[in-house]
Amino acid sequence: MNASGIPLKEPSVSAAAADAEQVERALIDASTRVPVLMFYTSAMAWLIIGTLLAGFVSFKLHSPDLFSDISFLTWGRVRPAHMNVMVYGWASMAGMGTAIWLMARLCRTVLRYPLLLVAGAGFWNLGVLLGVGGILVGDSTGYQWLEFPHYAAIVLFVAYTLVVSWAVLMFRFRRGEQIYITQWYLLGAFLWFPWLYAAGQLMLFVVPVQGVLQAAVGWWYANNLLFLWFGAIGLGTAYYMIPKVIGRPVYSYHLATIGFWTYALFSSWTGMQRLVDGPFPAWMITASIAATILTIIPVATVGLNHHMTMQGYFPLLRYSPTLRFTVFGAISYTVFSVVGVLISLRSVARYVNFTQASIAYSHLGLYAFFTMVIFGSMYYIVPRLVGREWRYASLIKLHFWASVYGIGLMTLMLLAGGFLQGANMENPSLAFSETTETVLPYLRGRSLSGLLLTASHFIFAYHFGLMLLGLGRTSTVPTFLNPVEAEGSEAHL
Amino acid sequence: MKGLAPLFLGIFGTFAFSWVGLTMIPNWQIGHLDPQMEEDGTDVYPQPQSGMVERGSRVYAANGCIYCHSQQVRADYAADDIERKWGDRRSAPRDYIFERPIFLGKMRMGQDLSNIGARAPAEQENVPPAGAASPAAQGGAAAAPPAASVAPTGANPSPPAKAGSPPPGGPAPKATTSPPPAGSPPAGAGSPAVHSASPAPTASAAPNPKAPPASPSPSAVAKASPAASPSPPAGSPGTSPGASPSSPPPKAPAGPAPKAPLASPSPSAIANASPGGTTSVSSGTPAAEARPVQTTGEPPMYSAAWQHVHLYSPRRINVDSNMPSYRFLYQMRRISDVPSDDALKFSGSEAPPEGWEIVPTYDAKCLVAYLISLNQSHPLKEVRSAAPAASPPAAPGK
Repeated sequence: MNASGIPLKEPSVSAAAADAEQVERALIDASTRVPVLMFYTSAMAWLIIGTLLAGFVSFKLHSPDLFSDISFLTWGRVRPAHMNVMVYGWASMAGMGTAIWLMARLCRTVLRYPLLLVAGAGFWNLGVLLGVGGILVGDSTGYQWLEFPHYAAIVLFVAYTLVVSWAVLMFRFRRGEQIYITQWYLLGAFLWFPWLYAAGQLMLFVVPVQGVLQAAVGWWYANNLLFLWFGAIGLGTAYYMIPKVIGRPVYSYHLATIGFWTYALFSSWTGMQRLVDGPFPAWMITASIAATILTIIPVATVGLNHHMTMQGYFPLLRYSPTLRFTVFGAISYTVFSVVGVLISLRSVARYVNFTQASIAYSHLGLYAFFTMVIFGSMYYIVPRLVGREWRYASLIKLHFWASVYGIGLMTLMLLAGGFLQGANMENPSLAFSETTETVLPYLRGRSLSGLLLTASHFIFAYHFGLMLLGLGRTSTVPTFLNPVEAEGSEAHL
Repeated sequence: MKGLAPLFLGIFGTFAFSWVGLTMIPNWQIGHLDPQMEEDGTDVYPQPQSGMVERGSRVYAANGCIYCHSQQVRADYAADDIERKWGDRRSAPRDYIFERPIFLGKMRMGQDLSNIGARAPAEQENVPPAGAASPAAQGGAAAAPPAASVAPTGANPSPPAKAGSPPPGGPAPKATTSPPPAGSPPAGAGSPAVHSASPAPTASAAPNPKAPPASPSPSAVAKASPAASPSPPAGSPGTSPGASPSSPPPKAPAGPAPKAPLASPSPSAIANASPGGTTSVSSGTPAAEARPVQTTGEPPMYSAAWQHVHLYSPRRINVDSNMPSYRFLYQMRRISDVPSDDALKFSGSEAPPEGWEIVPTYDAKCLVAYLISLNQSHPLKEVRSAAPAASPPAAPGK
C-alpha cells in the first residue's frame, strides 16, 4: 500500500514468485493478442456503425419525413438494423473478446487453437453483415431480436459453434482445481447461448410453433439473451475486474454461489412479463412476473458482494478507468433489475407496456450495465495486448462522462416519456395522436442524449485506434484518470 | 466450486427447466388450436390468409410496422383498449392461429391494428342515423351505385354543429376537421377534373403540411366530433369556394349532391374499399371521441384507397401523425392511355405533374390487402364480447 491507497505491489508475495507469475501472465496475454483484438476491433467497428444508425433512428422518430423515398432508410428497417448491429455486432463481439481473454487468464494456460477463434470472428462478422444487409433490403423475419434472415442466422451459428468449441477445449487444458466465479458465468453464457439461439431458430423458423406462441418464444429468447448471454458475461467480468483492480479477494464465495444459481434459475424464467395482458394463458405471464420479482435475490446478493468487496476502496474510483466503468455497470445492473421489476408489475405494466419505457429498460440492460462493464474490461485488457498504455487520461474521462450522462439522460427521457405516453393512452378521452405527441419532446431529449453517446463512442474509437497503431504510451505504469504517485511497477490498474 | 460436473448439470438443468416451462408446456397447452366453427362446419373463424394477404404480411414485417403498431386488444379489466374502440373484445390465442410471423407488437407509437380491417367504411354507415343528410346520401348513391354503401358515411348528420364549433381555430382547423361528404369519396377517386372542381381538398392540402397553425386543431377535433365518423359540414367548402372560410353547417347536405355526378365516372376507389366492407362485422360502436377524424377530400377512412393515401402521405390524413411515409412502395409513372383505376388522387403540392400518376406497387397493394384483412370482430366462444362489466380472463386453452 502506498500513500494513494492503491495496492501497487502485493506485499505477501515474494519478489521471485511475483516475477514468475508476471511472466506467465504476460505469456498468456500475448497468446490472446490476435483473437481478442480481432473481436475487439470488429466490435468497435460495429459500435460506430450502430451509433450512426441509432442517431438516424432517433431523429427520424420525431422528424418522420427524412428520406421517405428510400426503402432501405425507412424507419422500420433502420431500427432493427441498429438493434441487431448493437446486439450481435457490438455487444456480442466485445463480450466474446473479453470472455476469451478471461477464459485464458482464469484457466491459467496460453490460448490454444487460436485459428478457431479467428475463423469464428470472421464468420461472425460475415453473419452480422449479411443479417444487417438483409434487414435493410427488406428480408427481416419480423420477429423482434431475431430479425436476421435465415442465411445470416446460419452463418452466425457456425461462427458461434467455433467459439464455443474453443471454450470447451480450453476448459480441458485449465490448471488448478478451483473454478473461479467468473468462469461459472462464462461457462454458463457459452453453453446457454447456442441452446437459446438454436431453440429460437427452430421453434420460429424450422418447425414453427403456432400463433401466439411465436411471440412467447420470441420474448423468451430476447429476455434470456439479455440475461443469460449478456448478463452472464457482464456479471462474470465484473466479478473478475473489481477484485483484480483493487487487489483484494471477493468478499464472499458463498454469496456468489447463491447469486449465481438463483440468477440462472430465476432470470431464465423471465420474458413473458413483456406480454402482460396479451392473448396468453395467464399463468405464463404470472410465472414470469414472479420470476422477475425473484431476480431481486441474485441482484441483492451480487450487489452486496461487490459492495463489500469495494468497501474501503471506493477512493480508487478516482484513479482507475476500469474500476470506474465496471462499478458504474455493476450499479446499473441493480437499477436495471429494479426497473425491470417495477415495469413488470401488472398495475404498472398497464401503463408502460406499449410505450418507450420498455426501450429504456433494454438500454439500461444492454448499455448502462453490459456495455459499461465491457468498456471497463477493454480499458484493462487492451494495454495488455498491445503492450502500450492508454495515451490520454482526458479522453478516458470524456468517454466516461459522455457515456454516463448520455445513458442517464436517455433512460430518464424514455422512462418519463413512456410513463406519460402510457398514462395518456389509458385515458380514452384523449385522441390517440395526443399520446404520441406527448412523447415527442422526450424523444427529442433522447436524440440529445444520443449525441452525447455518439461523442463518447467516437472518442473511445479514436483512442482505441491509437492503441492499435501502437501509439499508446510506453510506460510501466497504467494510465490513471488522475495523477497519483506510483512507486511500484507491478500495477494492476 | 469444485468439479465441472455439478456446474454443467446446474447450467443445463436451470435452462432446461425454463425451456420446458415457458415454451414446451405452453405449446402443449395452446399450440394446436383449430379454427372455431359451427357444428355444421360453417362460419369458420379464423381463416387462412390468402396469397396477397400473406405477401402483405411479409411487407409488413420487412418494413418494420411492428415497431410502432401492436396487434392485440387487451381485456377491458386490464386496459382501455376496448374503450379506445380498437376492438370490441379482447384478443385470444385462437385469433392468431394462421399468423406467421405474428405481430403482437410491443410499442404503440401508432394505433393498434388488430381490427383495422373491421373499421373499413361499410361498417361506419351503420353508425350514424341517416337523418337529415339523406338527400346527400342519395345523391351520392345515385351518382355512383357502388358507392352507395359508402356514401352515407359522409352523410352523418349528427355533428354539424359540433364540427362547426371549431371556428375559433380558424379556417385551417376547419379544413382538417371537415370530412368529406357523400360527394367526396368519388372526388377522391375522381377524374382529373378534381382539382378544379373541389376547392375543399386544396384548402385542406395547403394547411396540412404546416403543423403550427393546425396543431391546435386535433384536440379540438377530437373533442368536437364525438362521432369521429365523417361529418358532412365539411363538404360545404366544396360547394362554393367563396363559402369555405365560413363553412356554414346547414349547407352541408346540399354540398355533396351537386358534386356527385362529377365524380361518378370513377368509382374504382370505392370498389377497392368494398372487400374490407364485406368482411367486416359491425361492431355497433359509435366511433370514439378519440378516433381520428376523416380528412376532407380524402377517401373514406380505412378504405383501401384511404390506406394508400395514408401510407403515401400520412400527414395529409392527420397533420399530427408521426408515421413515416412509405413513398418507396409507390411509383410515379407517365399516364399511358387512360389514368389507372388505382392511381392515388392528389391535389395541391403533392399532385403529380400533368400527365403523370402515382400508382401503388404490388407490394403496396398486398400490404393494404393485409391491413384490410385484420379483423378480430368475429366472436369467439372462449371470449366474452364487448363486455361492459369486468369479466374473468378468457383463460384460453383451459
